Amino acid sequence: MDAIIIETIVKAALVIAVFSALAGFGTFIERKILAFMQRRLGPMHVGPFGILQIAADGIKLFTKEDIIPQHANKFIFMIAPIITAATAFIALAAVPIFPEFTVFGYTIHPIVADINVGILFILGAMASGLYGPLLAGMAQANKWGIIGSARTAILFMSYEVVTGLSLLAPIMLVGSLSLIDFNAAQTGGVGEWLVWQQPVAFILFIIAGFAETNRTPFDILEHEAEIISGYATEYSGMRWGMFFIGEYANMITISFMASLIFFGGFNEWGILPGGLAILLKVSFFFFLMLWVRASWPHIRPDQLMWLCWKVLMPIAILNVLITGLVMML
Amino acid sequence: MEQIAFYLFSVLTIGLFLVTVLSNNVLYAMTSLAAGMVLISGFFFLLGADFLGVVQLVVYVGAVMALYSFGMMFFDATKDIKEKNTSSYLVFFLSGMIALTLVIMFSAPIMGENIIASYPIMAGATNPQAVGLVLFTKYLVPFEVAAVMLLVAMISGIILAGKKMDDSLTTKDENHEEDDTFSRKDIK
Amino acid sequence: MSLNKFKDRNVGVQNYTLIEHEAFPQTGGEKFARVLKRTIKGELFVGLWVTMRTMILALFNGEIHTVKYPFEKLPISPRYRAIHDMLRLLESGHYRCIGCGLCEKICIADCIKMDTKYDENQRKEVTEYTINFGRCIFCGYCAEVCPELAIVHGGRYETASQQRASFSIFDDMLTPIDALKEQKEYPGFGAVSPNADDNIKKTPLAY
Ligand code: SF4
Ligand code: SF4
Repeated sequence: MDAIIIETIVKAALVIAVFSALAGFGTFIERKILAFMQRRLGPMHVGPFGILQIAADGIKLFTKEDIIPQHANKFIFMIAPIITAATAFIALAAVPIFPEFTVFGYTIHPIVADINVGILFILGAMASGLYGPLLAGMAQANKWGIIGSARTAILFMSYEVVTGLSLLAPIMLVGSLSLIDFNAAQTGGVGEWLVWQQPVAFILFIIAGFAETNRTPFDILEHEAEIISGYATEYSGMRWGMFFIGEYANMITISFMASLIFFGGFNEWGILPGGLAILLKVSFFFFLMLWVRASWPHIRPDQLMWLCWKVLMPIAILNVLITGLVMML
Repeated sequence: MEQIAFYLFSVLTIGLFLVTVLSNNVLYAMTSLAAGMVLISGFFFLLGADFLGVVQLVVYVGAVMALYSFGMMFFDATKDIKEKNTSSYLVFFLSGMIALTLVIMFSAPIMGENIIASYPIMAGATNPQAVGLVLFTKYLVPFEVAAVMLLVAMISGIILAGKKMDDSLTTKDENHEEDDTFSRKDIK
Repeated sequence: MSLNKFKDRNVGVQNYTLIEHEAFPQTGGEKFARVLKRTIKGELFVGLWVTMRTMILALFNGEIHTVKYPFEKLPISPRYRAIHDMLRLLESGHYRCIGCGLCEKICIADCIKMDTKYDENQRKEVTEYTINFGRCIFCGYCAEVCPELAIVHGGRYETASQQRASFSIFDDMLTPIDALKEQKEYPGFGAVSPNADDNIKKTPLAY
């Protein structure tokens, strides 16, 4: 009992430490890749290839003055970024990150909490993460913020149905809600990846995942060209940074989910060991998000609603129906 | 361990819902409502009903989000709302109801002692399966009725909103046709 | 030439192309068809390929357009009017300015201040010459009016300063004597045009 508690605490601390660092590193990668895709150089003066830019930005964010607007609702304004960051890490708690491995004769399962409804838990935690932008926008007594939080509500109502319904079909196939079971169902190599059986579900899930993490083409919450910075307009310093740690952690979570559910997870992939395989897959999905951001224009909130409710949701329901029929026959 | 968690959750939940009811600020009320709903799912987790707990989380997070959008439209979130409370009968009636509820709540365990589950949990069934079994055997009729009612609500919602759907922003594209011909003429 | 034609500023060849829009879909069916077409046609993937190609070229072919500004600068036009230079005579190395005072006179921002005295050869010698670049509007009149091409515009365009008044004295603007070889004849504002020789006609001396 004690050992489990200690192990869990250590794992949680590790996940928070590693993934906050990864989130910071994600911003660096994003800036570099966007730069190359636009024939620029990106950050390059701090450290080799500008890699210490993360540290410089961290110092900047930590030491910047934390401004709270005069008419803002102070308490809500202060806790909103914490909600985003915390829920992002809570969601990560149910993600199995690597295959099991043994250190000093002690088997380690690299998952903080293996609950048997993992997928739903992750979706729920990430959904409650959207309370961060919503509350932030409403608490800051700024019109751009209000627009940002109204758009948060729109975004939320649009994507949630699609994520749930798109994942329903693979869940029916595997018959479990645990990501570990999903992984176990695809042990047979590339041919058994669920994406071959459920390509439609995968596409729907990726589209909804982009909306869930507030990435281009669905970055309506804080689209600079339209609403200054949306919900983050009045934020500065570390509170602003927390929103972005949350966003990048969510991106990593979605990448993990896509690779675990549809792309064989951390099973060995040819000669690649499982740990490396999943790292490659996750990096690819992370890269895909940046790539799409550099390539595609962004859409209006009403177009997002139209897309989700009138196009994606019917397709998702059809997909579930067909999957059910095929399974019954 | 479980008891500490239970009392922690219950104190927090009750406190949060009290804030919901007593606060003058719509933002505080909503936030504590959402937080309370999230904490309720903690009870389900304590009882080992993981599936229901997560469903509680997902459903109520969405539902309160919808409430927020109404709150956003009706109130200024940064100001306090002054309620007018003129009817003392209402206060009287409500406090009476609360007293009654409390009595029922405290007597419930006494009455509940001799209830036997008519559909005991099947051995080996996981959470979602158990929920599904109960829903499609014992509660089949209420479940179907609820489904039909939700369908009715959805269709009526679509009809109510759909009357003006043709002038939505999405379909505004067609109006650009005119600007377009104008600019073409200009260039020629 | 009619006035209308005179006012037409669009001289030269116009390269406008008219982009043909397809007709906007009217009915629901047409809209659906458009959505389907756009989905199948893969326009989105063309976009993805464009950025990917740019990235590959940037990484492996060095096609990066960033100018690391304080370390490298783009060349500017020789006719650009930035901080002034004072030129020297190429043969003797003496400064060209003859102290005529025309630049001081013509300066519309009133920012040139100069003083002269006669030296032992009874030539004008410049004793004091400053330009207040806080006032200068870089109109180029001084360079144009100077009979000796002594004051010209150089290429130093970083003129930000912490004070409103920022003076430059004669010696700062003067070509350093050891850099005389690198001094270029100024082609810009007020300089003799490149084909000036062709335009010279003999002036008859006697009537
Ligand atoms: S450029 Fe114009 S304003 Fe500047 S010193 Fe010459 S004449 Fe005066
Ligand atoms: S116009 Fe030329 S020659 Fe005359 S004073 Fe000015 S710089 Fe000297």
